[in-house]
Formats: sequence, structure tokens, C-alpha cells
Amino acid sequence: MRHVLTCLLAVVLLPAIALGVTIRTPEGSAEVATQGDLLDVVSLLRLTGADVQFAPAAGSFVATLGEHELQFTPGGALAVADGRLLSLPGPLRQISGSVYAPFPSLAALVAPLGWSLTGSASAPVLARTTTRERLTVTVLRAEGGVMLVVSGTSRRPRVVTGTGSVTLEFTVPIELAAALPAADELRGAEVGDDSITLRLAPDQEVASSYPLEDPPRFVVRLQKAQAVAAVAPQQSQGPVVVLDPGHGGDDLGAQSADGTAEKDLTLAVARATAARLQASGITARLTRERDEHVALEQRTAVANRLQAVVFVSIHVNASPARSARGAETYYMSADASDSQAAQSAARENAGASRDTVQLILWDLAYVANLNSSARLARSIQDRLNALQGIKDRGVRQAPFVVLTGATMPAALVELGFISNPDEAARLRAADTQEQLAAILAEAIGEFLRAPSGETVTPVPVAP
Amino acid sequence: MSHRGVVALLAGALTWTVLVVSACGRRPAPAPATDQPAAAASSGAVQIVLFFVAEDGRLQRESREVAELPGSPSARARVVLEELLAGSHTGLASPVPWAVTVRTVFVDGAGTAFIDLSAPPQPTIAGTSAELAFVYAVINSVVANGGGISRVQLLFGGKEVVTFGNVDLSRPLPPNLDIVTP
Repeated sequence: MRHVLTCLLAVVLLPAIALGVTIRTPEGSAEVATQGDLLDVVSLLRLTGADVQFAPAAGSFVATLGEHELQFTPGGALAVADGRLLSLPGPLRQISGSVYAPFPSLAALVAPLGWSLTGSASAPVLARTTTRERLTVTVLRAEGGVMLVVSGTSRRPRVVTGTGSVTLEFTVPIELAAALPAADELRGAEVGDDSITLRLAPDQEVASSYPLEDPPRFVVRLQKAQAVAAVAPQQSQGPVVVLDPGHGGDDLGAQSADGTAEKDLTLAVARATAARLQASGITARLTRERDEHVALEQRTAVANRLQAVVFVSIHVNASPARSARGAETYYMSADASDSQAAQSAARENAGASRDTVQLILWDLAYVANLNSSARLARSIQDRLNALQGIKDRGVRQAPFVVLTGATMPAALVELGFISNPDEAARLRAADTQEQLAAILAEAIGEFLRAPSGETVTPVPVAP
Repeated sequence: MSHRGVVALLAGALTWTVLVVSACGRRPAPAPATDQPAAAASSGAVQIVLFFVAEDGRLQRESREVAELPGSPSARARVVLEELLAGSHTGLASPVPWAVTVRTVFVDGAGTAFIDLSAPPQPTIAGTSAELAFVYAVINSVVANGGGISRVQLLFGGKEVVTFGNVDLSRPLPPNLDIVTP
């Protein structure tokens, strides 16, 4: 009987356990519903003063507080804060008609609204973020490069890598607790309201970035920019054409059934093309001279720094459709967001200033170069079509990273399908590679000789 | 405790137990309208358009009927994705190179869908056509089937990915019909 009563008492007391938790707020305290360790999201957000509504058209909740807007959807671990994607530590769940989240996710959700959630799930404390997070950047030297260690926050920033810089974007206001330490690899820092941009020495690039725990830190590892060092600017050699052999090093690219790697074919064709261009009096440079890894952004940056007149990235294709065959040539897509991304990357690459006149010049240059890129791609594709045995797949547009930010006419050519056994065998043949090189060199030469008022290569402004 | 007290306690417990069992046996009750996703706008079988890989490696449209298409943009996109991942009904090749599961679909107020797919194996995709087919089979299929979605950003394992090799995945992309067989 006692056992039965104990069980019944537990059942009776269960509602009390599920009632909620008392949360400390600047005004005193408030009750927030809980489900185990999960807390009611909407109720908690409303304690900040946010207006929280469900937007049926978007299928998501929208919390508005002052200038801040937070959007979230139950069922996932993603949110958008002030237009920026926010990856939450744990998923939001819909239970009995309400949205619940684990404590760390709630802390991440309130941060962009200017609030902090500390304590624990059983004793949460909600407070306004009155002070900026004070970050400290230290420099550690390690084998193979330098590590920039950012401490003073447990928040993982969004890392935006540009040529010559890396920006860490946080979701809360930040400041530097001390001046940036002196290091040959750094040229300074620009601290924004919620971001810090670290200017890198010309020979440095970001190798990787990752968080560390106990205590929480964020590490940005730098390394020598191999491609830039390998291709030094040339003096007074006339127009420069930059050829980009796709992939390299650990990045094999596509592979044929018998193991032939795209990276080897692209290097062979690029070398042969460069030799033919040089023989015809056109200076040609490669983004990589050997089997090595070169970051995509660095490949374009090489062309920009050399003030090249043409940039051609050379690739070999693969498709899940085994019968797919033929060559095709791409240039940058004309979508507005692609345009903006390209202009932004181009300015970063060239170290251009952001004053109004410069921006207008870059806009004009981008549009003009897009037209010229189409002409370059057409010139290459027409000659590939003429090569016996190659099926025309035409000129296409796509948002390729390696073309984003090029400040000159740029194209990406796919010479054939390595996933097709017949084409793989043909692409491996030395005489085919020479034929393709001859076609590329002729097409580039024809493009350069053709009169055109379209091509505009803006002169980079010194950083 | 008196006999009457025990009876009252048992009665209260019984009432609560009945409530708990009743609640467990049904779907969550809808909350106030301002806090709740809209109910599924079901109106019988609906025709949707998906994109698979044709013999020449380009994308090709395939139409099929689904029992219903929810009104919520994220739920609608999820239905379309599940149909895409289930494969072609007409023998077209799948653009999806690994066993993908849909983790989260999130649509913001500007019509941008953030689609979080399961993390891929390494290496992920090799070859520009394979990469374009995968990326735009997802984007084109989601955008083509309404819900007010105009752009899609793909995430993998909850993380943003710059690229699998060539295509810029670091930002929301509009559909691309340039690689679709007419």
C-alpha cells in the first residue's frame, strides 16, 4: 500500500516539476516554462522586451527588439540574427504547442538582442549586455606557421577570409583589451562594433581556424602563401596571361576509373599552353608550377597582383551520368549577388579603397569584364568545338569561387569528362594534351588581338 | 492521513493520470495563433517538379504528384527535398552523391531558405558537372515548387561550407536554369 501511495504521489507531483523555473531578470524574477532541461523560448525572449510573433508566410518565429531582428524555426538548430546565420548549440523543439530549447541555445539566441543568459538551466540569469566582450589576441609560433589566439569570449565567430586579411564576425559588441602584438605576419587590426579584421603580411594566408575549450579560445592559423611567393610580379614584359591548373596537392580533383587524377591532366595542359603562349610572345604565368595545394582565392589573387589581362582556369569534368562527354566553358554568372560578391572580392584582392569613386569604377569594370569574359569563353569554346571528337556543351555561367574577384576577363574551361572511359583515355594521351594546349593558346591570342572597348582592368590602389 | 484524505489523493492522482495518458495519446494541441505555424494547406494531390541528372550530365525536369504540399515554406521545401532524395521515377540519375538526410530547413522573411543536410564523406564530390548537378538539383527543385523561396544556402552538418571544389556555397544562391536541358 505504501509503495502504491508513493507512486501515486510521484504522479501527483509531476505537474509541479514540469511547471517551470524561476529566472532572474533586471526587474526581479519571472517564471519560464520548462520541459526537462529545455526552456520555453518565446516566454524567455519576451522577458527581454522583444516582440515575438509567428510569421506564417515565412514559417518561422520573428523576435524584434529595437533594431535587432531574430528569426527561428522549431525543429532545427539554425536562426538568423540581423540577417546573419546563427548556428545554435542544440535544436529548438516544439512540444505541446510551445517552442523549447536547451540552455546554451537560448544563450546564443538572446545574445544578438543585446542580452546575456548565464547561470544554468535550473537557475538562469537574464541580463542586458552592458559591456563589450574584451578580446585579447596573442601570437604563438608553431611549426609551419603562426597561430593567432583570440581569448576573452566563448562565442565562435564567423570567419571571413579575404586576400591579405581575415575578419572575425561576432554576434555581440567586442573590443580589444590590448593592442595587437607586434609580429612580422601582421600589419594591424581594424576593430568594428562586432568584428575584428586582422591585416596580414603579403606573404601570409589563413590555413585554418578552429575553437579551443577550457578556457574558450578561437585560433586562426596562418601559413606562407606559397602561390604568391612562387609567382612574383614581372617587370615590363607586356600583357600577362595567368593560367590556373585546377586542383593540386591533396586535392586530386576528379578521377578516372583507372585512377588518373584531374590535377595531373590540368597541370600538363596548362604547362603546354603556357609554353605556346610564351613562344608567341605572350607572357604566361601559372598559379602553380608543380603538384601542390593552392587556395582558390589565392589563384585569382595571383592574377590580380600581376595585373593579368586574361585568367583561364583549366579543369577536367566528371558527372554521375557516365555517358556525359564533351567540353564546356564557364564564366561568372550575372546574378546580382554574384556581382556584389565578385566586386567585394576583387576590391579585397587588389587592396582597393572603398571610397565612392573607386566603387563606381569597380562597378563599371565588373560589368565590362563580364562581357569580355563571355567573349573569352566563346573564343575558347568555339575552338574546342572545332577539335575533332569533342562534343559542344556550350558556354555557361556559374558562381565559381576561382572566378569570383578576378579583375580581368576570366573563364573556366572543362576540357572533357574523365568519368567517361573513352574521354579519359583521350585526355591522357600526350598528343591530345598538345592539341588542347594549342587550342587554348590560339583562343587566348585571338581574344587579345581582337579589338575591344569592353575590357577594363582597374588599376589597383595601393593598400 | 485520514481515510478521506487518501481517497481525495487517489482521486486527484487518477484524474492527473488520465490527463497524462490522454495527452500522450494525441498530437500536441495547437497554441495561440500568433505563436503557431500555419496548418498544412492540403488540397489533395499536388504536382511538383524535381531536377535529376540526364544522360548528358545536365539537369532534367521530372514531374510527379505528392499527396499534399504544406503551406509552410520550410515544410513544403522539406517535402520536395525528401522526394528528390528518394530518386527519379523515370530512370534519371541521382544528383546526390552520398546518403543525404535533411537535418533542418529554415526560411527567413526575405525568401532565403537555409537547408542543412547531413555532413558528406570526404572527398565529397569530384567534377564540376557533378557538383553543379548536386547543388542546383536541390536549389532548383526547392525554388520551383513555390513557398516564396527565391534563394537557397546549403549547409552541411550544421556548418557553412565555402565550396566542394568550384561552386561558391558560402552564400544563398538563386536557381540556375543555364545547366538544365530545355
